[in-house]
Amino acid sequence: MERVENISVGGWCVPEKRGRSLVSAKAFAVMIVAATLFSAAVASWLPLQISIVTVFLFAGPHNWFEARYFLMRLPARFGRSRNFFMVAFAGIGLLTLAYVSLPALYYANVWSGANWPNAIATWNTLMVFWISGLVLMRGQQKANHDWFWVLPVAFALCSLNWLSPELFSLGIVYVHPLVALWFLDRHLRRTKPEWLRTYRRCLMCLPLLLGLMLWQLSRTTPLVDDNGLFWRITQHAGAELLPRVSSHMLVSTHVFLELLHYGVWIFALPLIGATGAIWSVKSIPVANHSRGFPKLIGAFLICGLLGVALLWFGFSANYTLTRDIYFTIAMAHVLAEAPFLLRMI
Amino acid sequence: MKRTLIATAAILALLASALYAFGDIARPKPTPKSLLYSGLTITTDPKAYEARLVISESTLKNLQEAGARNGGGAALTQQIMHSSNRTIMAGLFMFLAISFAGIWFARSNQRRNTKAIAAVLLVAVIFGIGTIMVRANAGPPGYIRWQNLPQALKDGKETSGGVSIEVVPGDDNMKLIIPMRKSSKPGEE
Repeated sequence: MERVENISVGGWCVPEKRGRSLVSAKAFAVMIVAATLFSAAVASWLPLQISIVTVFLFAGPHNWFEARYFLMRLPARFGRSRNFFMVAFAGIGLLTLAYVSLPALYYANVWSGANWPNAIATWNTLMVFWISGLVLMRGQQKANHDWFWVLPVAFALCSLNWLSPELFSLGIVYVHPLVALWFLDRHLRRTKPEWLRTYRRCLMCLPLLLGLMLWQLSRTTPLVDDNGLFWRITQHAGAELLPRVSSHMLVSTHVFLELLHYGVWIFALPLIGATGAIWSVKSIPVANHSRGFPKLIGAFLICGLLGVALLWFGFSANYTLTRDIYFTIAMAHVLAEAPFLLRMI
Repeated sequence: MKRTLIATAAILALLASALYAFGDIARPKPTPKSLLYSGLTITTDPKAYEARLVISESTLKNLQEAGARNGGGAALTQQIMHSSNRTIMAGLFMFLAISFAGIWFARSNQRRNTKAIAAVLLVAVIFGIGTIMVRANAGPPGYIRWQNLPQALKDGKETSGGVSIEVVPGDDNMKLIIPMRKSSKPGEE
């Protein structure tokens, strides 16, 4: 009997999908390296300006592409993975709700700013426990795998988190963009294993490039954050938490990682055929299944496109406010990456 | 299973009550706040009538920014030291991490896991040694640079070294404190 979890888990198991990419491996590698170098250059040169333009252009579309990719990975029937997905969706919903409510409660004077680190630490702890639970549940589905090690690692992370909750959150800000590279790696491993070595060689250049950026920018003068928007961007990159580090270096590094993140979701994965034809819902198991929901999925994707347009409108009308709202709500997509990445491991 | 759950709940309740324990009753005395670490050069000028403390525009700007930041938030170490609840929680989780790592170690008999554990221990040892070196000031201590100051002043030469700019309460004059160690010459002791 075939394992239920292996049925309808997306298009990558189908052999004919392997030849769908629009480019060759060499062209793909050249594009990755060129895009990475270009991103590093512009992020180092004009960090604040590039941050504004990048978020304006790509924040909404990358969420839409990501949502579509996750829908493709969502099995039509959960089967044995029902509990995994229940915990995953409950965690995404509750943690996002809690994250959004934190600033709301703060501005409503429900608690003072002195308790803010404790609230952040509690939220981070819950997130670590949630991801650990998902890892253990995923481990139980895979034979000959003992993933018990995740518990000591999770507790160690919680310990670091309680020592400095703000720095732990800042770590998430910097690590999250790199998760997209992991997705690309797992996708290539399943669909184009012959490309994997080339991709990983390109990936090995990333620490070198980051090291070079940090070395070059570490002695730069701090960015002039004399208006509300620039101040928010430098704060988001950790300028207040790391006062002895050049804010130019922090913002440039963050913008560079964000550019890579957006590049993977909007360009790299669609380029290798990972998202299928974006206008068609046939590649989405939940829509294509005989007992699926094609109209619901189609409506969801159209609403997503309207959301992207609404975000662009919001950025045009009041960039600072929209950026604040976006980065608060966007925590949902950060959390959603965890279960879907685990499904690919 | 039920007994284990009850025992675990009891232990967690006991540990949770520890959050309200305040061990540091005595309030620490206020200490000077270090705002900035910069460089200092001491030299003589035979034509000058007044002593001068020359600060570059860049350093002054950094000093102003550091002062502004200092009013907003404390340093990381200060935050940790002044939050006993968070320190207790961090300690609790570190205890659990080490405990579960021990259980994992006991459970795993496979050769691959042993190698992984050995690798983790090696990394931990390297980090530990690195931490000890950093914390122990493995580099030459700052006062070494100032040891030749008296002779350099006599010779009219420059002496450069690090300086920590501190802010203290009160309205006293600026004070430049140079770390000098008494050199014990033969026959002095």
